[in-house]
Amino acid sequence: MVMIEFRKGWADATRLEQILRAGQAPHDCAEMTFGFCPDSKIMIDAAVRLLALLNQLDQCTRRVVLRFDDGVAGVMGYLDRMGFFDHLSKGIEVIPDRPTFSGAALHGGHNAGIVEIAGINPKLRDQDLPTRLTTALTMACGSRSDAGALGNAAWTIFTELIDNVFSHSQTSLDGYAALQVYPRGNMVKVAVSDSGLGIMQTLRPVLSREFPMLARLSDTELLVEVFRQGLSRHGADRGCGLKGSAAKAMKYKADLDVRLPTIRVRLSPGAVNYRLNTAYCFERLPLIWGTHICFTFKTNLQEKE
Amino acid sequence: MTIELYSGSLKQMNEPGTIRLISCMRRPEAWGREEGRIVYPCLLHQIESQPGTMIFRVSMFGVVRVDMSFISETVVQLARRYRGHKGFCFVDMTDDDMIENCDAAATKAGQPLLVWRGGDPIVIGPRPSPGTLDAFQFALAKPCVRVADFVNVMPNVSVTNASNKFKQLWQQGYLLRREQTAETGGLEFVYQRIA
Repeated sequence: MVMIEFRKGWADATRLEQILRAGQAPHDCAEMTFGFCPDSKIMIDAAVRLLALLNQLDQCTRRVVLRFDDGVAGVMGYLDRMGFFDHLSKGIEVIPDRPTFSGAALHGGHNAGIVEIAGINPKLRDQDLPTRLTTALTMACGSRSDAGALGNAAWTIFTELIDNVFSHSQTSLDGYAALQVYPRGNMVKVAVSDSGLGIMQTLRPVLSREFPMLARLSDTELLVEVFRQGLSRHGADRGCGLKGSAAKAMKYKADLDVRLPTIRVRLSPGAVNYRLNTAYCFERLPLIWGTHICFTFKTNLQEKE
Repeated sequence: MTIELYSGSLKQMNEPGTIRLISCMRRPEAWGREEGRIVYPCLLHQIESQPGTMIFRVSMFGVVRVDMSFISETVVQLARRYRGHKGFCFVDMTDDDMIENCDAAATKAGQPLLVWRGGDPIVIGPRPSPGTLDAFQFALAKPCVRVADFVNVMPNVSVTNASNKFKQLWQQGYLLRREQTAETGGLEFVYQRIA
């Protein structure tokens, strides 16, 4: 059985990639254990991506064990509070046992600093999810000088991201969205994930017909253009959602992190457009199906990270 | 001298209709393509029930938030469908973010639309080309204009050139046009702003 270990300290999306790249790619293993060592912690961007990956593995008939050395006193308690186990496939074994009562169900909505993991399923449309995310974000960013205008912009960012999951993911697995405020880190992370084909897989086949000028771009370059120009497999008159989301997020100086099945791109706000943060761009990563997006907003623009 | 443009029946035809978007929405917030596709037939029904009306003012009164995808599937889709035959413009839209969303949707669809704030129009979607801008601004100042009216105030522009400018504005969805009998007895086009 392959072991994938989360050691002491924080695991964000970058750390998650390092952990996954260190060993055999999860989709290539028949059996594996994801172990959370004592004092390990996980950020919401990594938690949502991990949830999507675990459910994909289960659906692909892999045997997966999730082990928490600290039990509910540690990272397991946090994940329970965020609703992680409510969405985790039943086929995945959890050690110690899954919580009897869901922390998210018991306390959901009572903490302004989080929005618990919500499933995104076109058949069970959670109409108020963008509003819940917006309310939490604007409360966390209340001291920013642009806080007043941020609310409407953030709402559009979230609606477009969620709608994008409805429109493009083409999967029976749910997508997920969640938010966490990190007051000490001066940031709010909003993660939206789906387990579908990913933008590249849906866009590449139509590229030579719809956007021949872009056919020779690498996956990373093409992904940047998706957010800059708004490209869609449905033609030139579609695709305003991701572009519009990114444009608004950039106006409010949010960092953008996008993980596709085998590539990851981080974009930072530039003067006019998003620019690639090449230090965090990787290709040929271990397979995780879908499109995983995380926006990081600063809670206070003056404060340094 | 009677100019047919201002005759009673035609004036009635030129009366704009008003569509309150909120009347087709279940809540004051709407987002996503799916919700747009649910609202679209309701809007279409309102338009088809007023066959003689050429211009529809889409009132955003009571609408709190709409995203780009929703507007793309509703008002922008209607404007594209009826381009050249019926015109659509927004009224009662005061929120800058909402205008930005509508602008993004209209730009992506290549469909110009006007937002009227008081007496002032804002073009959203693709802007008119520099070559047609003078004709467009001239047309915006009056309910209806003819090519001859424009040439009268722009003597350095030929009739052919002016005709091309207005035809282009009509084809691209910035103006509406209809035929009327000219003073000479022949036919001429009257171009109408979407207001």
